[in-house]
Amino acid sequence: MLKVTGLRKTYRSGAREVEALRDLTFTVENGELVCLVGPSGCGKTTLLRCIAGLLDPSGGTISLDGQPVQGPPPGLAMVFQEYGRSLFPWMTVRDNVELPLKQKKLPAARRASLVSSALSAVGLEGTESAYPWQLSGGMQQRVAIARAVAYEPSTLLMDEPFAAVDAQTRADLEDLVRALWQRLNVTVLFITHDIDEAVYLGQRVIMLSSSPTVVQDEITVDLPASRDQLHTRADARFTELRTHVYEQIQAAKRGAQSTVDS
Amino acid sequence: MKRVAYVLGLPVVLFAAWFLLSSGSESFYAPPLRTILASFADTWTLDRLRADVLPSLLRLAAGYAVAGVLGVAIGITIGLNRRVRATVEPVLEFFRALPPPVLVPIIMLFAGIGDSMKIIVIALGCVWPILLNTVEGVRAVDSIQIDTARAYGISGPSRIRQVILPAASPQIAAGLRQALSIAIILMVISEMFASSNGLGFTIVQFQRSFAIPEMWSGIILLGLLGFTLSLLFRLAEGRALRWYHGLREAQRRS
Ligand SMILES: Nc1ncnc2c1ncn2[C@@H]1O[C@H](COP(=O)(O)OP(=O)(O)OP(=O)(O)O)[C@@H](O)[C@H]1O
Ligand SMILES: [Mg+2]
Repeated sequence: MLKVTGLRKTYRSGAREVEALRDLTFTVENGELVCLVGPSGCGKTTLLRCIAGLLDPSGGTISLDGQPVQGPPPGLAMVFQEYGRSLFPWMTVRDNVELPLKQKKLPAARRASLVSSALSAVGLEGTESAYPWQLSGGMQQRVAIARAVAYEPSTLLMDEPFAAVDAQTRADLEDLVRALWQRLNVTVLFITHDIDEAVYLGQRVIMLSSSPTVVQDEITVDLPASRDQLHTRADARFTELRTHVYEQIQAAKRGAQSTVDS
Repeated sequence: MKRVAYVLGLPVVLFAAWFLLSSGSESFYAPPLRTILASFADTWTLDRLRADVLPSLLRLAAGYAVAGVLGVAIGITIGLNRRVRATVEPVLEFFRALPPPVLVPIIMLFAGIGDSMKIIVIALGCVWPILLNTVEGVRAVDSIQIDTARAYGISGPSRIRQVILPAASPQIAAGLRQALSIAIILMVISEMFASSNGLGFTIVQFQRSFAIPEMWSGIILLGLLGFTLSLLFRLAEGRALRWYHGLREAQRRS
């Protein structure tokens, strides 16, 4: 279980201070798929980096399965928003995906099968020996996703992972994430700015306010577990839920507006 | 084929000009190139290459290798550690600013006049560009790449080998390239001070005994040597950093 309590993060650079997160509290159960939405610049990436142990919070606590997060927790994988910069340009696609597995000291045969099944899951068979910079932005993003998937994490953090792919690929990848989540029983925290995507993917959607950032609202997505792009999105309940999320986000923006005004 | 023509074009033209312009030269100190070339074949026999050029090259290789290993190792240590960097960087700049040849008499005091003195001179002289470029390269590694490594538990030696070193390698290669020409200069200079063999020693010997065409032929050999070494370096770099040149190319296109 991922537990975030009273999380606060203020960036300091010289005299300038940016309060990225004011007070965040939420939990994600093991094996749950939770989507996080929030306006741009509200601190979503900051939150994810704190959970991944890459950034020290200014206050509050994060714990994963009862262990306080102090450095990168084992068994956690992250897909960075800056997917292009997170791939190593001196390695082929295969080596990029395989490197974390080598670190886990898996035997070569197991590594090879994980790499090839992860790459074919994201539709990238045949690119194994290409370098990342020989691929399009969307393909690079899928390499980053394949690397996280091959790692077989128990917790998967994804920071707007579908931002650079076209609509059709995006729909396919959404279904892939749900399929993998159901198959691997992994805990997923998924950041997106796309409200439809959040409702389609998540079991729950957590909405963040704009800065100073708190949890604005939280809904349980009571849609059936088996979802598909055509029917789920046409469902009346789906529309209700997305309207709710949309209103909350508008309210969050207005709230921020009124605090600025007052 | 075309690239070879570009590389060799200008040297061939210059040599031809030298040949033609000097052909009627009466000067004792600047004999015709024809004479120099004739003496080249007589002077640089296989025996002489073995006795004088080979020791020079071995010392060059040893000094350069020592500088490479030390420069990269210390450079990574400094580059990864902000506090160490703040302390030692001014000192490094000072040492770098010293012209390496002034080190020769000092090192002779400590290390005598044998091979080790020359290797130390070469290593100490050419370690600075390697060291400073490595520090720069390590500092400039993309923070997202480092975070990625950390998030996937790639730490310690394997982080250095798999991420830091390759990410800094283009800059390290730039340092190694600068160091190579410094190393060649120091190879010659260290032999001019005190030696009993070597290319620099032989050239000085010719000059002192007024064997002027032979002296010139030695200088030509030195030039050829430097040219060959830098060509080999370029080939090796092009191979090792193929990913980098490809990446640059891709970035330029987009
Ligand atoms: N390293 C940093 N130093 C100073 N301020 C930072 C730093 N990183 C982020 N910030 C600030 O913190 C706030 C939150 O940034 P963050 O990147 O977490 O937002 P985000 O929700 O991920 O935005 P987006 O949706 O655009 O990706 C922003 O105001 C940003 O300017
Ligand atoms: Mg972000």
